[in-house]
Amino acid sequence: MYSSAAEDDLLDDAEITQEDAWAVISAFFEAKGLVRQQLDSFNEFINSNMQEIVDEYGTLLVKPESQHNPGMAEVEEKEYKVEFGQIYLSKPTMTEADGETVVLFPKEARLRNLTYAAPLYIDIKKVVITRVPNGEAEVEEENYPKIFIGEVPIMLRSSYCSLHERTNKQLTELGECPYDQGGYFVVNGSEKVLIAQERMANNQVYVFRKSQPSKYAFQCECRSVVENSTRNTSSMSIKMLARSGGKGGQAIRATLPYIKSDVPILIIFRALGLTADKDILQHVVYDFNDTEMMEALRPSIEEAFPIQNQEVALDYIGKRGSVPGVTKERRIQYAREILQRELLPHVAVGEFCETKKAYFFGYMVHRLLLVALGRRDQDDRDHYCNKRLDLGGPLLANLFRQLFRKLTKDVRSHVQKAVDRGKEINLMAAVNKDTITRGLRYSIATGNWGMQGTAGMRAGVSQVLNRLTYASTLSHLRRISSPIGREGKLAKPRQLHNSQWGVICPAETPEGQACGLVKNLALMSYVSVGCPSAPIGEFLEEWTTENLEEINPGVILNTTKVFVNGVWVGIHRNPTMLVQTLRQMRRQVDISTEVGIVHDIRLQELRLYTDYGRCCRPLFIVDNERKRLTITKDDIRQLQDREVTHFGWNELVHKGCIEYIDTEEEETTMIAMEIKDLENARMPGRVAYSETYTHCEIHPSMILGVCASIIPFPDHNQSPRNTYQSAMGKQAMGMYVTNYQTRMDTQAYVLYYPQKPLVTTRAMEHLHFRELPAGQNTIVAIACYSGYNQEDSLMMNQSSIDRGFFRSMFFRTYRAEEKKQGSLVQEVIEVPDRSTTVAMRHGTYDKLDDDGIAPPGTRVSGEDVIIGKTSPLADEQPGVAQRFSKKDVSTSLRNSESGMIDQVMVTTNAEGQRFVKIRVRSIRIPQVGDKFASRHGQKGTIGMTYTQEDMPWTAEGIVPDLIINPHAIPSRMTIGHLVEALMSKVASCVGKEGDATPFAEVTVDNISAALHNCGYQSRGWETMYNGHTGRRLQAQIFLNPTYYQRLKHMVDDKIHSRGRGPVQILTRQPVEGRARDGGLRFGEMERDCIISHGSAAFLKERLFDQSDAYRVHVCERCGLFAVANLKKNQFHCPACKNTTGIVQVHMPYACKLLFQELMAMAIAPRMQF
Amino acid sequence: MTTLGENRRVPQVQIRVLRDDYCEFVLSDTDPSVANALRRIMLVEVPTIAIDLVEIEENTTVLNDEFIAHRLGLIPLVSNAVYNMKGVFEDAGEEDFMDVEMSLNVKCTSEDTMDVTSNDLTLDVKHPEVHPVGYKQGDFDALKRPILLVKMRKNQELRLRAVARKGIGKDHAKWIPVATVSFQYMPEISINRALMDTLTEQEKEDWVDATPSKGVFRYNNITKQVEVDNAELYQYDGEALAKSEELGKPGLVTIKERQDIFIFRVESTGVLKAEDVVLTALEVLMRKLRNLQEALPQQDVGAT
Repeated sequence: MYSSAAEDDLLDDAEITQEDAWAVISAFFEAKGLVRQQLDSFNEFINSNMQEIVDEYGTLLVKPESQHNPGMAEVEEKEYKVEFGQIYLSKPTMTEADGETVVLFPKEARLRNLTYAAPLYIDIKKVVITRVPNGEAEVEEENYPKIFIGEVPIMLRSSYCSLHERTNKQLTELGECPYDQGGYFVVNGSEKVLIAQERMANNQVYVFRKSQPSKYAFQCECRSVVENSTRNTSSMSIKMLARSGGKGGQAIRATLPYIKSDVPILIIFRALGLTADKDILQHVVYDFNDTEMMEALRPSIEEAFPIQNQEVALDYIGKRGSVPGVTKERRIQYAREILQRELLPHVAVGEFCETKKAYFFGYMVHRLLLVALGRRDQDDRDHYCNKRLDLGGPLLANLFRQLFRKLTKDVRSHVQKAVDRGKEINLMAAVNKDTITRGLRYSIATGNWGMQGTAGMRAGVSQVLNRLTYASTLSHLRRISSPIGREGKLAKPRQLHNSQWGVICPAETPEGQACGLVKNLALMSYVSVGCPSAPIGEFLEEWTTENLEEINPGVILNTTKVFVNGVWVGIHRNPTMLVQTLRQMRRQVDISTEVGIVHDIRLQELRLYTDYGRCCRPLFIVDNERKRLTITKDDIRQLQDREVTHFGWNELVHKGCIEYIDTEEEETTMIAMEIKDLENARMPGRVAYSETYTHCEIHPSMILGVCASIIPFPDHNQSPRNTYQSAMGKQAMGMYVTNYQTRMDTQAYVLYYPQKPLVTTRAMEHLHFRELPAGQNTIVAIACYSGYNQEDSLMMNQSSIDRGFFRSMFFRTYRAEEKKQGSLVQEVIEVPDRSTTVAMRHGTYDKLDDDGIAPPGTRVSGEDVIIGKTSPLADEQPGVAQRFSKKDVSTSLRNSESGMIDQVMVTTNAEGQRFVKIRVRSIRIPQVGDKFASRHGQKGTIGMTYTQEDMPWTAEGIVPDLIINPHAIPSRMTIGHLVEALMSKVASCVGKEGDATPFAEVTVDNISAALHNCGYQSRGWETMYNGHTGRRLQAQIFLNPTYYQRLKHMVDDKIHSRGRGPVQILTRQPVEGRARDGGLRFGEMERDCIISHGSAAFLKERLFDQSDAYRVHVCERCGLFAVANLKKNQFHCPACKNTTGIVQVHMPYACKLLFQELMAMAIAPRMQF
Repeated sequence: MTTLGENRRVPQVQIRVLRDDYCEFVLSDTDPSVANALRRIMLVEVPTIAIDLVEIEENTTVLNDEFIAHRLGLIPLVSNAVYNMKGVFEDAGEEDFMDVEMSLNVKCTSEDTMDVTSNDLTLDVKHPEVHPVGYKQGDFDALKRPILLVKMRKNQELRLRAVARKGIGKDHAKWIPVATVSFQYMPEISINRALMDTLTEQEKEDWVDATPSKGVFRYNNITKQVEVDNAELYQYDGEALAKSEELGKPGLVTIKERQDIFIFRVESTGVLKAEDVVLTALEVLMRKLRNLQEALPQQDVGAT
């Protein structure tokens, strides 16, 4: 394959091969890791956003409320100014209860349930300006340097983390797993991930066709937000009426913020200062020869005929504002302010911006007309270029902004109070240190995003990091959620969109409610962090972009409109040259690499983007004259010995070999799928798909995400199977981190003998799947054998199990702390004494050591108490000696679990209280009912185990570990499963790993031929003999190694039965759930069954006798419950004062409850006999 | 009890290879049921010795107690003493011995990682013949390299007492005396010379190559003929027959499966000599038959 290229290889500028692309990919992952988006966005927050927010809101001006002092002359006038300046963030620390402050490392934070946060300091300046009447202002300044204002949780491995740029050895010594990627927070000891939130992009013009029947036929919207501000989005829309209402045709009207009814567009133009119809038309139509469009505007012009000047137009708008009944001047002023501040604020806010707004407004109408006239399709809401991702950084920035504003507000009111009372201003006391600390911690800990109690809270933004398998952790850190209602049955936003190619994994999404709404990033996608747009603006000006204020609208037709982040900044007469220069500069990193440059030739637009949250991906740049990649063999060679040359990913980008293309710019590129395609395009006579390639895919397999990259040959599977495996891979057991022994996770599964797969994908290398695997290579036979593998069950070799096959450990951590209630009452960890303690548990206390904690190595089971703890009882009657002085608040083991005490940790928590964590270990040996799966969405539970002699065998003496049913294959079409098996056999014969990367050139015939060479039947079949009888099996069996995963669902965690047991207090029906030893629901469908079967007595037994049978006494006369005293044999009805005619009735307790509840609502449910 | 029938068969055993860890023999003049019974017994009913009970005194290694106990159980112990031992479920007198007590006491004092292997086990002074396979016989011979139990770093310690007992593979795979046992039916292959001659040289070579197991057929370059080289290597894969069909010459070869000749291959783990495994298995089989025989007459009386 490479022989012909061998000679070319010697040349430094030879074309690289597809194989060489892997060196580039390695360099990418080495430079970026797998959670770059999280780290980048957090670093951006710390490094710039935080200071920006402080600068934006950091100045307070307080004037004393003027006091009326009769008789006293006007004295001096004071003004107080508080300025928040530079912020400082130190490394994460923690303050012990005794006041000592120490540097905190994540390991300690996790173990002691602390928060991994760094203190934030700020310079505060107090300025007092004293004005004496007719005198100079006297300025007095006082500086408070580095005032502590709160703690900011720090993302692990970000530039402010203590683990930043540590070597693997140092990390190990700090008790961290060197493979852990960071990208999450530790809050109160639990690891929290901020899930990227998808939203629609702001400041974009969208045109939609409204579905009929609706008043309007078309709608053009723009959700406008000023860059970097908290102001709410200001939406405005322009609509075209559906039918010509009476006279005229389809008028166009606009909805303005704060204006109650729709306003004809011409009135808005007039209000913006364009009075003449011609001027207005020039802003909308651009081309006066376009009679069709002119005609379409006719109804609108006619509609606005009565209003011909700006004053009247403003008055028209003002009248429809929210304050009625004011003077004309006020109305006009009001309307003017609305237009200045609320209409399209992203274009400009303030005075003299009417021209720009008129142009933009005209552009929006133009876009609407294009769609209305059928010249353009409506915009695609689901196109990924219209989506933005809010990652940890922006999410925290929003939260921090709210909290910082609250802080400054509090400072202000404190200062105001002090000033008004004429007291000394104590800034140190004015700053509430808890606002930021608590606010950030609350949101990250609970996932409720936003300040507590404020509107617009979003739930589930922060989640507990999944630590089941390494892959599940990685995938969790790269998850995206769209906050569209789960119940919405609209399918479109859930569907995979073409534009998601390369940035979002096509396979990895959950099934069911959240399908398609929860997504995962593809391996190489990059989310922009945002860069300032000012340099772009300067550049554009330099390169002869004409400002809108200075042009004649007539020239727009023949020029290109230039937009920066959705703002129309001007026009340009030579866009091709401009785009070329811009691209060139981006490739030389003269402007940021993440700037999006979109040249829309059809619309005559050049759109530039610098905002954050755009999805991009790196691509090879193709030199279009030479039709070859700009990257050369020499670059690859330098990449390959990166250690010597220090030539890495960033150097490649700087050299202009690779650039980031966002989803919008991608629409203007021509991307070759493989390097080979370029070769075809170059060679005359060869059939090439295109000759105008601008970019080339680095490798097509990079479209997949973390979980889908583990699947071998996903390109041979039916697509939903890859989705199933992507979900199942997260439940596989393996080694989730290397430091699991020093961690105290609430639950953890670790496989005894994890193995790296025989057949791997190239992407696995970067996912560290070889180092932290989650499965074992299993000899699998696809056969029926005895039939104990029907309906997705499987038969397992008991002898293999004995030898440690798929054995695993399960850890569960219990915790307890000595809580303090008040200053005196304090819980104590000790062995509770039966003579003084009330409410002791059922389980045994024998397992406890003298300190009240079960020691390591103790076998525990059932409801054994493992941490003894008591809480003192308050004296009820003072002076009287009580029998019990304490109450038992011990922790006992879950009733259905058992195991050994693995490790005990005793420490103190943040409050300095004694804090205990106990880890219990249990060994899980595969047994009937446990769940296993291959890497192709083929899951099953064990239906039978057979010892070795009962298993089928080959003449070589090979016995399968697992037998799956052939019926699992045809309908599911998981060909990848079979190909993996075949390649595994070759791999194990040859002693090399098999390569199952998708979209590579391996074929089944290649593999079969290799297998034939190894002396096996080429399709992986083997002659087998029945283990029970010794006879040869008629058919040959597909017997090959396959990588299997053990899933976390095990019978021992599910097995449940109950006779008598606990009941609910309210209804006296059995409680629900295994954990509470609950009953098994005999539901309505089961009920229907029994009714139709006709066994009434059985039905009564299930639903009444075995559930909530109860006996009541009822007065025959009034039909209501009577009072009965059975001991004294006295009965009476309180309602009718009747003592006779009282009957006993059996009824469900729930029924009795219902009657009583009805009675409480003044409804009398009378039982008649 | 009547005499056995005229057609009574006398099974024959012909030993081909006999090494300590490997035995290959041909069993003939019998049924697949007998052959399979022998195979099954060799696998799971030949008693051996393995560590069955572990008392851990101190374990500060990275592997937990259960893990180490499991690994200890899987160490193959030389089990020639098994014939003098009694199992837990057998009735044993005072003088019978059931337990072999071993111990392990290691502590890592060096800075480097230390391997704890089967060589670190201290044997029972009363039964020194029960020891791990390859016990202290040299670290460099791949076959005799000791079995790794766990790796230790400085200051880690492992102290335990282990009791080895007699048992069978049916109860736990650690008592299986063999790596694998298998038999195959003797194939009989005959080539239709006349039809074969109609093939071209290339076709003949292709036909020979079609069979995945190398060495069944051979294309003789001198005689330009296809010969059966070693029929025993034939795996009943049917590729040769399929190739014949493909060439349009069905019947190029006829392959028969003898139902009364079995080639047995026994690979011992080193616990017992392969020869002993076979002999013990036969003994167990005989005992089973005797038990059956002893149980039968009472029933026979009732039936006839």
